[in-house]
Amino acid sequence: MASVSLPAPPVTISPASEAEIYRKAIETHGSPLLVINPAKIRRAYRSLNDALPGVGLYFAIKANPHRAVVKTLAECGASFDIATSGEIELLREIKVRGDNCIHTHPIKRDKDIRDALRYGCTKFVVDNLEEIKKFIPYRNRVGILLRVSFPNPNSPVDLSKKFGCTPDNAIQLAETATEMGIKIKGFSFHAGSQCACPENHTHAVERCAELLMHYNETHEQNMSILDIGGGFPVPYDNGTPDIESFCAPIRNALKLLPEHIAVIAEPGRFLVADAATAVSTVIGVADRCDGRWYYLDDGVYGSYSGRIYDHANYPIRVFSDETSVTHPTIMAGPTCDSIDVFAENINIPELKIGDLVVGEMMGAYTNATATDFNLFPRAKIIESTDAAF
Amino acid sequence: MNRYSETLYDAWGQSFAVDKVLFETHTDHQHLVIFKNSHYGRVMALDGVIQTTEADEFIYHESLTHIPLLAHGDVKKVLIIGGGDGGILREVCKHKNVESITMVEIDNAVVEMSREHLPKHSDGAFDDSRFQLVIDDGANFVAETEQTFDVIISDSTDPIGPGEVLFTQDFYGNCKRCLNPGGVLVTQNGVPFMQADELISTHERQQVHFADNTFYTAAIPTYVGGVMAFSWASDNKDLRAQNLEIIKARFEQAELAVRFYTPELHLGAFALPGYIQEHLK
Ligand SMILES: Cc1ncc(COP(=O)(O)O)c(C=O)c1O
Repeated sequence: MASVSLPAPPVTISPASEAEIYRKAIETHGSPLLVINPAKIRRAYRSLNDALPGVGLYFAIKANPHRAVVKTLAECGASFDIATSGEIELLREIKVRGDNCIHTHPIKRDKDIRDALRYGCTKFVVDNLEEIKKFIPYRNRVGILLRVSFPNPNSPVDLSKKFGCTPDNAIQLAETATEMGIKIKGFSFHAGSQCACPENHTHAVERCAELLMHYNETHEQNMSILDIGGGFPVPYDNGTPDIESFCAPIRNALKLLPEHIAVIAEPGRFLVADAATAVSTVIGVADRCDGRWYYLDDGVYGSYSGRIYDHANYPIRVFSDETSVTHPTIMAGPTCDSIDVFAENINIPELKIGDLVVGEMMGAYTNATATDFNLFPRAKIIESTDAAF
Repeated sequence: MNRYSETLYDAWGQSFAVDKVLFETHTDHQHLVIFKNSHYGRVMALDGVIQTTEADEFIYHESLTHIPLLAHGDVKKVLIIGGGDGGILREVCKHKNVESITMVEIDNAVVEMSREHLPKHSDGAFDDSRFQLVIDDGANFVAETEQTFDVIISDSTDPIGPGEVLFTQDFYGNCKRCLNPGGVLVTQNGVPFMQADELISTHERQQVHFADNTFYTAAIPTYVGGVMAFSWASDNKDLRAQNLEIIKARFEQAELAVRFYTPELHLGAFALPGYIQEHLK
């Protein structure tokens, strides 16, 4: 039994007839499936582009490194946030040019730097002196951004804990870098992922604007870029602001920047979360003291991995025409580990072995972090532009 | 209109109008393209870096070939490491007294592609009877071969990339091992104004093995950023301190058809600007 009880995910009970399209998909491709809808990626790209006009969008590949996803975004005109040589290989395969990328992993081996340079990516992010020193041999080739940390304990994923220098330290680090012949082109921050409100972004933009202007007034070297990171939220549940209202205050804060400062962002989740749907099959049922357990052929070691790593609570859809009688229900994955539970505290009508369960908004940090635990095969990934997905 | 922009440097770079793409591959973790440009003719680029162009390759190939060969004066056996486009080979073939030319290329595809798409680089030299092609890693070849040579020319790609093994201390040591007494090793060594560290590390690594180690330069328009440096490594200090009359006499006797090389330039090429000398102290 899972030791910590999870909050209930949003659940939709749809008429049994609506399961048909999902059933067809698994009859053709097998179960479990993860269905990517490129049309939704394009839509998300357009809406973020509209909400942040003039901001260069660098898709954070880590959110979903599937080839179809990356290809779709390349076609939309996105640039890319890369963190590893593996991500570089993927971009090479789909013929994205290196000068369209920024390497944002703050900690790099010499080989990582060389791989990126060889690929033609000359922009890098660092956050401490040891990392700056690694660029001395490449100082004439690179443009470096300094990552500043703005802790965000209210975001489910606080990315300023592990990386980033403090704002108070930033100017001094930039000066030390200049003394070593390394030019700092600007600042970057990452306000946290799935941010509930834009205040951390606006605060960080304001502080970075101050730092940038102060630096440019007092130094010969001019900074020219602000990278506002990712963190743009998606509505897993009803409490999430829409992207236009989330970005409006950020747009305002960006007005503080002098005109010559280029602004870029590294959205991951927002561009892809809505674009994937998981389809899995009930393979076992048990009535236990805490409710009815359904065992699915996908779980937290597979597509629902973000349930653990990303703290995401994906909306669940089941199909039944018997909506009058419901049971307290727990949905678990197929592995033998008791942590493998992806929905608890829900009430749904009875399902049978062979019935389908659909997970929605499963495009970000899902297949990206899936494992092969127990050697259960991962969900097959297919593409579809059908509106059901 | 299509353009090809070099991605060597974040702060600046050169860009070409692409009149026509002649060849392009995205295999083996690299991107290679050959295109036509109205000023530079056929241009070959690898992973965002210009490798060679028809218009200015003669400056590079003549510098890397005629300076060591005429400085030595009695070259019979030449080893070319890399150089798959055939440009160095073409220049070496102009020396009638050379008896054998071995070229070590890591991949025959480079040679085939160059013969087809950059035919002026080799200009028939691949068919010269003195020429022998070895398909092997250059670093491996010099570590294992029993043969010895009077001149070794390393015509490699940049050290960030597939050419990395051709910039190691071991490679230089192995080159020395297969040089005849009084022989000379020359290597492509980047543009010091932008890549000073490359020059410094080569100097550190070659000094260990050779009594005389310096650089000479030539300005090649599409290797942007000022003059390109070529390393010079030999145990015979006199090779690069010849008087002009001797070089002139050898040049006349060799009857080379050249467009860049002159005996005066040969001696002048070793005169280094202050900003390069500073790195060699
Ligand atoms: C450096 C960096 N940039 C961008 C992102 C993407 O964040 P999000 O998916 O919240 O937009 C991440 C996520 O971990 C990150 O670490």
